[in-house]
Amino acid sequence: MSAIHLRNLVKRFGAFTALKTMDLDIADGEFMAILGPSGCGKSTTMNMIAGLEEPSSGSIHFSDRDMAGVPMGKRNVGFVFQNYAIFTHMTVRQNLAYGPTMQRAQTAEVNKKVAEMADFLQLTELLDRKADKLSVNILQRVAIGRSAILKPAIFLLDEPLSNVDAAFRAVMRTELKQLQRQFKQTMVYVTHDQLEAMTMADRIAVMDHGVLQQVGTPLEVYNNPVNTFVATFIGSPGMNLVKGTPTETKQGLRINLGAIGKSPILPPALASNLKSRNSEVWYGFRPENITVGTKADDLSLPITFTERIGARTIVHLGEGLSMKAVFDNETPVTVGKTLNFTLKPEHVLLFDGTSGVRIGMEAAHG
Amino acid sequence: MKKSIPFEVFRYAMIALALVVALIPIAWMASMAFKPVGEWSATGADLTWWPKHPTLFNFNFIFGQSDTSLIVALEKTAAKPILASLLSSIFGTLIAISAGTAAAYGLSRFGAGKNLPLALIQLRIFPPMAVMIPVMIMWAFLRLNDTWFGLALVYGIVTLPFAFWLMKTFFDDMPREIEEAALVEGCSRWRVFTRITLPMMRAPLASAALFVFIMNWSDYLIALLLTSREWVTIPVYMASLSSSMTGQLYGAKAALGLIAAIPPLVLGIAIQKHLVRGLTFGALKQ
Repeated sequence: MSAIHLRNLVKRFGAFTALKTMDLDIADGEFMAILGPSGCGKSTTMNMIAGLEEPSSGSIHFSDRDMAGVPMGKRNVGFVFQNYAIFTHMTVRQNLAYGPTMQRAQTAEVNKKVAEMADFLQLTELLDRKADKLSVNILQRVAIGRSAILKPAIFLLDEPLSNVDAAFRAVMRTELKQLQRQFKQTMVYVTHDQLEAMTMADRIAVMDHGVLQQVGTPLEVYNNPVNTFVATFIGSPGMNLVKGTPTETKQGLRINLGAIGKSPILPPALASNLKSRNSEVWYGFRPENITVGTKADDLSLPITFTERIGARTIVHLGEGLSMKAVFDNETPVTVGKTLNFTLKPEHVLLFDGTSGVRIGMEAAHG
Repeated sequence: MKKSIPFEVFRYAMIALALVVALIPIAWMASMAFKPVGEWSATGADLTWWPKHPTLFNFNFIFGQSDTSLIVALEKTAAKPILASLLSSIFGTLIAISAGTAAAYGLSRFGAGKNLPLALIQLRIFPPMAVMIPVMIMWAFLRLNDTWFGLALVYGIVTLPFAFWLMKTFFDDMPREIEEAALVEGCSRWRVFTRITLPMMRAPLASAALFVFIMNWSDYLIALLLTSREWVTIPVYMASLSSSMTGQLYGAKAALGLIAAIPPLVLGIAIQKHLVRGLTFGALKQ
């Protein structure tokens, strides 16, 4: 069992910096998801933890042990790749037995481990099948089994569910979580799918453009995003952001959102955080927190498009604003009509209009 | 999509035409091989497309049986040239494939020397004749002239670029994650190569080997320059099958040609399954 400590980790490929000064502590036995869009540096980080890539600078410690120069075979990590990396010329049994055999385990011991793992992953009936004849779902299961059988202290998964089909993905999410509960390893899970991160991870590290944006529990990053990137990236659909300027009214401070209207009065705490009353801010609120209103001072936007996805309806608002509202499927919405809506003050977040940093969290974000 | 009948007719006509062009010379060779002298000889009176009196005479002749119908005796039989062709082609192929595969793997995985892959083609830039004359002199100096291993060595060198480039493409296409997975599980680089990479490369290796073997097997020029008495190969020997009395011994040549076609054919059929796989390589969905 092992914790992971990344200190000032940097990775450059020639002139391109894939990872800019990453600091991250992953606790022993923790399930950490590294979440971000393609090219954000998450796989690079993972590869450095595994030893597939050498850091350009900075250090990686597993608990107290400095991993600089330790070859990947000696790190006691398991790695599951997006494209399975199954040895297709072998049977499922040979694939599962590969690691233990490499580590010179006794044959009886290997057989026992293979049987256990096959049972856990429901692969027993497929043990003697040639791997290249199996479906991608099964292949990924075999890949997970092949890594897990070594009981590595650290289990690294690089978008393992990206290529499998949607139904199987849901099954595997549960299975992976169970696997981790059973073996209690430290798990690092790289993904661009926030649903996987939110459902499985103890904590999520959100990355963008080679920079770690925020680390926190799934609810923390959802409820308290530190900047506009995290706010829009987390949540499905992401947070709505509208540029506006603060305006003082008789009742209190509001944000003038232009054509949309004037925001409800800001709660005192939020208003006091607003240091400059003249500069622009991003006014943020989640699509699911919009409620249909009728009053004259409500915000309003034309409905441009609706996506009915069963229990919920996603309503696209305004032209070119990428604003959305999420309602249950009974709320009447008509494309072309104007939607009047209100927001509860506690559901509103403000971000700096230029830097995108959450107002009130500037210090924390450094 | 449902295809129109005229289009289908046209399609099969084209296929038939291509087959005719490709197969007529072979059919002719086969028919010639079984004709008695009178039916193929330029002086013969019974020239014919199809053998009227099929005979194995031509085969017996090249393996040393003399006959009164041809007033020619052969200096040597076809047995030794067949052995020479087999030895030089097989060992030449082994050299090219093993060296080419190792080089391709190294360059594909460790990427040292960007210009090296291109530099390897230099061997093929010049007309073979221009390169072979110096090689002939060097080989004479090294006493490799007229030996099967001297010839095999040259075959290995000359076909190396093909083996290298074919294998490099396949290695480049093989997902690195497969090897990385084995490395993470504690496998050494060498074991990864021998236990994981090479077994997965069976199909590409088979297609590259067949390709290189056929190149070696059908070579005429190099063998002509580097062998003279002891170790002439089938193509060189075949060219010598003529006499001042009868001119070209077409029947004997055809018989030898038919025998020479066997190894590539057998090899091709044996690895046909791999050939298709080799051409559609890429075991993993990306």
